[in-house]
Amino acid sequence: MTTLMGTDAPFAVSVRGVNMVFDGVHAVRDATFDLEKGRFLTILGPSGSGKTTLLRMIAGFGKPTSGEVFINGLAVGSVPPHRRSIGMVFQKLALFPHMTAAENVAFPLRMRRFDARTIPDRVQRYLDLVKLGKLGDRRIHELSGGQQQRVAIARALVFEPDLLLLDEPLAALDRKLREEMQLEFRRIQRELDVTTINVTHDQREALVVSDEIIVMDHGRIQQKARPEATYRQPSNAFVANFIGVTNFIDGMVTAVDGDTIAFDRPGLAGRPGNGFRPLVGMAARGALRAEQIRIAGGREALGDVDTVFEGAVTDAIFEGERVVYEVTVPDLDGAALRVFDHDPVAHSQHEVGAAVAVGWNARDVLVFGD
Amino acid sequence: MKGDRSKAVTLWTFVVAALIMLSAPTLVVLGASFTAGNMITFPPEGLSLKWYAAIAGATDLRDAFLRSLIVASICTAVAIPTGTLAGIALAKYRVRFAAGVQVYLLLPFTVPLIGSGIGLMLIFGRWGVLGQLWPVGVAAAVINLPFMIWAVTASAAALDPDLELAAANCGAPPLSTFLAVTVPAVMPGIITGALLMFILALNEFLVSLLLVDARIVTLPVQIYNSIRSIITPDLAAISVVFIAVAAAAIALLDRLVGLDIFLKSK
Ligand SMILES: Nc1ncnc2c1ncn2[C@@H]1O[C@H](COP(=O)(O)OP(=O)(O)O)[C@@H](O)[C@H]1O
Ligand SMILES: [Mg+2]
Repeated sequence: MTTLMGTDAPFAVSVRGVNMVFDGVHAVRDATFDLEKGRFLTILGPSGSGKTTLLRMIAGFGKPTSGEVFINGLAVGSVPPHRRSIGMVFQKLALFPHMTAAENVAFPLRMRRFDARTIPDRVQRYLDLVKLGKLGDRRIHELSGGQQQRVAIARALVFEPDLLLLDEPLAALDRKLREEMQLEFRRIQRELDVTTINVTHDQREALVVSDEIIVMDHGRIQQKARPEATYRQPSNAFVANFIGVTNFIDGMVTAVDGDTIAFDRPGLAGRPGNGFRPLVGMAARGALRAEQIRIAGGREALGDVDTVFEGAVTDAIFEGERVVYEVTVPDLDGAALRVFDHDPVAHSQHEVGAAVAVGWNARDVLVFGD
Repeated sequence: MKGDRSKAVTLWTFVVAALIMLSAPTLVVLGASFTAGNMITFPPEGLSLKWYAAIAGATDLRDAFLRSLIVASICTAVAIPTGTLAGIALAKYRVRFAAGVQVYLLLPFTVPLIGSGIGLMLIFGRWGVLGQLWPVGVAAAVINLPFMIWAVTASAAALDPDLELAAANCGAPPLSTFLAVTVPAVMPGIITGALLMFILALNEFLVSLLLVDARIVTLPVQIYNSIRSIITPDLAAISVVFIAVAAAAIALLDRLVGLDIFLKSK
């Protein structure tokens, strides 16, 4: 058996140059990453970006076309799924419909030959953990969506796997329940200290629950970083666009001075995004978060900002804790900027059609080449 | 409005006509079996249970009925494993030559029964096993297997493919996955198919006629033989018992599969 050399304490999961090609579709391209023990990693990406395929290869469903997966430092390429110590919660849960909740949770224990006398206690302990203590005798269809979710979690965790995999199990739930379950996942994961890989297309979930986030697009890993770094230092325009609400301003680099990049628009400047080396004359795009733009009735009211443009409100949506504006700016080729105003009570809302000024600081503009 | 009503009237006329046509033979036989007279007639002459008493005492009819039950049981016992495996395989794996397999499954319906019957008679004759009951059961299984396969395939096709992956993830090796997860999940299809096979074998006539001899006649053949001599109401009575067994099987099916909660869990 091959082992991954280099570190004393092996990573819980190491993925090395993994590709998966389904007749013509290159679903996962050259995926490489490491995950430390006890960490909660989220793989985030749009639908079809290869998240499920990557997760399933780790579980042992589908052999990589090339590359290798290591679990606790051991190559698992030739280990069938039933011999891997991995608990998985499937997107559609895949609970056994002919068994009760408790029988579902007991199944992995029976299959993994746990001492039969200890099984009932252990099942009860895990049903308690997911707050289903009294519902063990229910059939699966007699449980609500959220309760079924909890059975699936208990089934995945009851045998104390080395690794927990979650494939968008919350996608089907309504928002309130989903946010509740996200915190629940976090609580259980911390309580058991189990290494977890979660898959989602919900950026909010990724930010809330994870220690680390991998962003995927078109089968390729775009970035692996802590949630805050993913948000504040996106590695490219795709990541910047996928997480948060981001405005892109396209232009040409006119001057580079240290970490300041000037654009061919009066007063517009930014700093280089992750690893971008700007050259004068290059086409580039500045990425600017909606919450970093200030909005006011006139220039003077904006306060101290590096860059100011004038425009007109073309849309205003009151969302309670904030107002989301769309401001069309003639000096930026009529670009429609999305702007969050988080203090809508303090100053009155701008009406659609109103002339406004928008402004921001150059350090908040990240410049990318693509 | 008016068009709708006349459409409804036409439709109901057809439905009622169809119901009458479908149930008429049963009703006639049922009525005739209660006759007090000595001839098969409809409507019956008076009411009595004497022909039921007669068949209860008639050992040849009772033995033939028992033999039919044995044949039906053998047929079902053969069909359950083969039909289940074939049905799951057809639904789960993109079987090569799938189109060919489908046509092959249609064969028993396209080849006249008399043809398959003669074929089976030749095979069993060569093997020297004619004159026993089990070849009749096996023959019924061979001829009617497509019903079993289709019932299982329908159930298996509705199966969530992740269910088997989930079992593997729980640590179940392939055989345990099959026995503990796949088979229970397609159980409604297996029950449906098995009861269908039982009824079909119980009623099976033409192929039995070719495969049995005088010592081991099954009930349909026994009835047929009796008709050729004289038609007495005891045949109507035994037919009613026959129908009752089939009806009981269907009621059982409805109860088992209808009550089957795991079908609704999707
Ligand atoms: N078994 C398969 N056969 C063929 N193509 C597949 C298969 N599984 C996934 N794909 C394709 O691979 C790509 C990635 O799919 P998937 O991993 O399910 O993405 P995600 O989970 O991010 O939505 C998609 O284009 C999908 O159509
Ligand atoms: Mg997916």
